[in-house]
Amino acid sequence: MGILKDEITRRSVIAGAGGLVVSFSLSRAFAQAPAPPAPPTTPPAPPASLPGSLDDDRFLDSWIRINPDNSITVFTGKAELGQGIRTALLQVAAEELEVNPTEIEFITADTGRTPNEGFTAGSQSMQNSGTAIRNAAAQVRALLLAEAAKRFGIAPTELRAENKSVLAKDGRSATYGELVSGQTLHVEAQPQSAFKQPGSFRVMGKPLPRVDIPAKVTGQPAYVHDLRLDGMLHARVVRPPSPAAELTEFDQSAADGMPGVVSVVRDGNFLAVVAEKEFQAVNAMRTLAEAARWQERETLPDQTDLPAELQRLEREVGTVAEAGVISSSGKVFEATYTRPYQIHGSIGPSCAVAQMKADGTLDV
Amino acid sequence: MSISLTVNGSPHQIDADPSTPLLYVLRDDLALNGAKYGCGLGQCGSCTVVVDGEAVLSCMVPVMLLEGREITTIEGLGTIDDPGPLQQAFIELQAAQCGYCIPGMMMSAHALLRRNAQPSDEDIREALATNLCRCGTHMRILAAIRRAGELMKAASLPESDERRAG
Repeated sequence: MGILKDEITRRSVIAGAGGLVVSFSLSRAFAQAPAPPAPPTTPPAPPASLPGSLDDDRFLDSWIRINPDNSITVFTGKAELGQGIRTALLQVAAEELEVNPTEIEFITADTGRTPNEGFTAGSQSMQNSGTAIRNAAAQVRALLLAEAAKRFGIAPTELRAENKSVLAKDGRSATYGELVSGQTLHVEAQPQSAFKQPGSFRVMGKPLPRVDIPAKVTGQPAYVHDLRLDGMLHARVVRPPSPAAELTEFDQSAADGMPGVVSVVRDGNFLAVVAEKEFQAVNAMRTLAEAARWQERETLPDQTDLPAELQRLEREVGTVAEAGVISSSGKVFEATYTRPYQIHGSIGPSCAVAQMKADGTLDV
Repeated sequence: MSISLTVNGSPHQIDADPSTPLLYVLRDDLALNGAKYGCGLGQCGSCTVVVDGEAVLSCMVPVMLLEGREITTIEGLGTIDDPGPLQQAFIELQAAQCGYCIPGMMMSAHALLRRNAQPSDEDIREALATNLCRCGTHMRILAAIRRAGELMKAASLPESDERRAG
């Protein structure tokens, strides 16, 4: 959740980007890559598949921006949920950009600013976002080296990237910010990247304390529940007593006169109450719950025999692995393994904050 | 109705219905993020704060019972720039996953450490029995609380974990 006050906006980045446009060919920047992309064929083939989430957001500056003041911003469409990806993805970016993790402003899942990477679920964040960021960072580093090589009139191999600068063996250097201008990073990524070799890693694979923990143990804002907007109202949903229950009648007047109640909202079987203060909403929700009548019906499978029900629902049957031949002379052991049908519930309840702006747009 | 509360050493005048549970006053009126709304029914422990040295479920206690009493939340244990021993220990041992239950855990631990700076694992488990967590840091939480006890003992100031604001 991007709720830090001093985060830059997309507009300020665009407004602040310098007017100087340096053009150079991408193929030159990647001339040193181990496997250069194939030359375009005619008729033009569909765009090459790019690694990880780069395939959906193909421009390098969707993922990494380097500003004229030499500050670096890295973006991910994945959300930090306590799984530590904010820290892990930061490590990936820092490694390939050859900078310290503290030098990067890291923006997570923000609909207006970051790539849209869909859900943060299924252990996909490192695989998809991590792959995109690693490739983008390696390609940005290659572009910076190529630009410095051009300016210094020497081969990129005579240069190294270190601590937000490109250094030449003869002592000349330029900061990343000096090497990047408006459009330098607004280029499509290439399918292949010249990655750092694992033996030279300084950040990846090394322990780095989670960057989100200090705020969480000192009461700093860290969750969507911690957002407080001017004039913010609080709502509570009146939950049905069972799945698929139908709301047949409710007495709105029961809540109307209660302190702080602003409105009661009904949309089909959805019933909620809005109040000025949170506990007023809780009280009104309890009152409304007593005044609501629901028609319940059986929709759940037999709870006493869930394993059988789950087997009836079975959709995918496969072989995990197969090797060798079962000997007819040996003993054969057979076993069936099952596990309970469970879903993990988090202690933090679902929460959303919405703000209707004067221009009619709704920020959620 | 106006109610006087002392939170982390600072006096506050609150305009709230006296039956409002402390949690909502801390979060909505005083803008303190530490105490968390988990279940709102006194079942999960994420709203735990310390009142006069005892761990209390703030979602259950009406503010009218708290006038003249010392309320401590996690914000009273230190700041992000100057963390207290418990906070330092939880950061050092990375004792949080999503972290939502952790302030409640830490306040239960704070109440425990005030009366026993060298608790056994059994003591810690007992003191935190009312704090639920669904994820995987339980062993680190135990270690962090033992570590906080050590840090407090090293400072020879068991009460130093509580900061006075203002």
